Amino acid sequence: MRKVLAGLMIFIISMIPLHAFAASALDMVKTNANSVLDVLRDPKLKGDAGKKVKEQKIEAAAEKLFDYVELSKRTLGLNWNRLSMDQRKEFVELFKTLLRNTYIDRITAYTNEKVEFTKEMQLTETTTEVQSVVTKGNTTVPINYRVIKKGNDWMVYDVVIEGVSLISNYRTQFRDILGSNPPQVLIDTLRKRVGK
Amino acid sequence: MSRRRSAAGQPRRRISLRTMGGLCLTMAFLLCCPLLHAEEGIPELGKITIRDLQDTGDRPASRAAYTMAAGNTSWRGLQATEGERENFSTFAAARQTPPDEYGDVTAKDVGEAVPGAAAKESADEYGDVAPDSATAAKPQVQIADPLRPFNVAMFHFNDKLYFWMWKPAATGYKYVMPQPFRQLFSNFYRNLTAPVRILNNLFQGKPGYAGEELAKLLINSTVGVGGLRNCAEECFGIKGRNADFGQTLGKWGLGPGFYLVLPFLGPSSPRDGFGFLVDWALRPQTYVGTEFFDYQNVGLFVHEKINSTSFRIGEYEALKKAAVDPYVSMRDIYIQYRTDLIENR
Repeated sequence: MRKVLAGLMIFIISMIPLHAFAASALDMVKTNANSVLDVLRDPKLKGDAGKKVKEQKIEAAAEKLFDYVELSKRTLGLNWNRLSMDQRKEFVELFKTLLRNTYIDRITAYTNEKVEFTKEMQLTETTTEVQSVVTKGNTTVPINYRVIKKGNDWMVYDVVIEGVSLISNYRTQFRDILGSNPPQVLIDTLRKRVGK
Repeated sequence: MSRRRSAAGQPRRRISLRTMGGLCLTMAFLLCCPLLHAEEGIPELGKITIRDLQDTGDRPASRAAYTMAAGNTSWRGLQATEGERENFSTFAAARQTPPDEYGDVTAKDVGEAVPGAAAKESADEYGDVAPDSATAAKPQVQIADPLRPFNVAMFHFNDKLYFWMWKPAATGYKYVMPQPFRQLFSNFYRNLTAPVRILNNLFQGKPGYAGEELAKLLINSTVGVGGLRNCAEECFGIKGRNADFGQTLGKWGLGPGFYLVLPFLGPSSPRDGFGFLVDWALRPQTYVGTEFFDYQNVGLFVHEKINSTSFRIGEYEALKKAAVDPYVSMRDIYIQYRTDLIENR
């Protein structure tokens, strides 16, 4: 009996990981996105006060969903290694603020868009792409989230909108700056940009 | 099992009880499974505790985790040593967790691959990339920019053109023209340009989509009253597929050449610029005029542009606002978007 059970367990254990891998990335992004959408559609949150609450809730959700260190590393690419430890930490904070300032208004402006998560595609052993389609009126926009496995969670490290990768876009810009300047110039540029 | 059954008085019931117990255990195990398999698939007691620590400590208060990571006494440090122990695993070799969250990265960690044209310095830094990283991440799309001073000038020209002409015109137009009418115009122009999509879908070896576009043309021109309504999509769900000649050339294997910002038209390349001319020739509107470009067909094009811009006021501003260097950002968006159209759609 015990052997059978043990055998059964081993069998099930050997089956589960693939299944767990396959289901959780999409579910994870979907759950988080839906919680954000629920906040956005909350009819009680109106006006300036409502917007404040919305922003706070979205920021909390983003904190759970995005891996800003991974995002920063992938954005800087190998230039990451040129930054000192302090510069790296400051960069992550500045980049996070930049993304927040840029996208928070656009996210809170969402109203009647329909978000549909279509499928997920494994990229590497640790990364997966979760694909979604956003429909507004008669235009559809494909938005894909690239997630990386960190511990038990999937964390977003890139967002691809209509084939345009967010981190690739910033990487090109940062590489342009870092091509002829020391890392501190990039940090200063970002500081000025986020108004710090 | 059979031995137990013969030994017991009421074999069936006992077994079912045991099976139930077993099932419960299995269920409990199943619940824990994702936890156990989060990294490798070999359940190990030490691993769970470390991960549990991370889960309670890392997520809600990530700032605390950062300081921990900086002190190099984090769970990640532990994990790295663990990774060395796991060398027998096939995955362990490929997956090297950096010992520190803020530590150095390798090309593989950051999904960086084959050097692009824009990698100016230290070519060998980009050279040594593990062969499997090509599948891990596609090489970043780059476009050469030899005419940068000209392009920057044109970028500023188009930028001013947008803010001083297109945007005010589209805003005023939006104000006087109700949304349903603008939608009718949009459908009408789109229906007229069906030949561009039919032929390019054919050129790209997609007769199915060419057929869809042909069906759309026929349905919208008749049931949709001369293309004023997009009945094919709204009533019959025929989606069709956008296609242009620059994309066709790309599908045939022609690269974009280099980055070229065209006045009035925006980001382009020699390939896509030529594609625009071919598509212009395929547009029925072009033959309204007597010349290839004259005030009649260009005027129609301008109206089409203002009409479509009226639906998209704010998009360009948002893209520009998101950028640290708008010129470089637009260039990158252009090449990424076009490459995606050619490779994936």
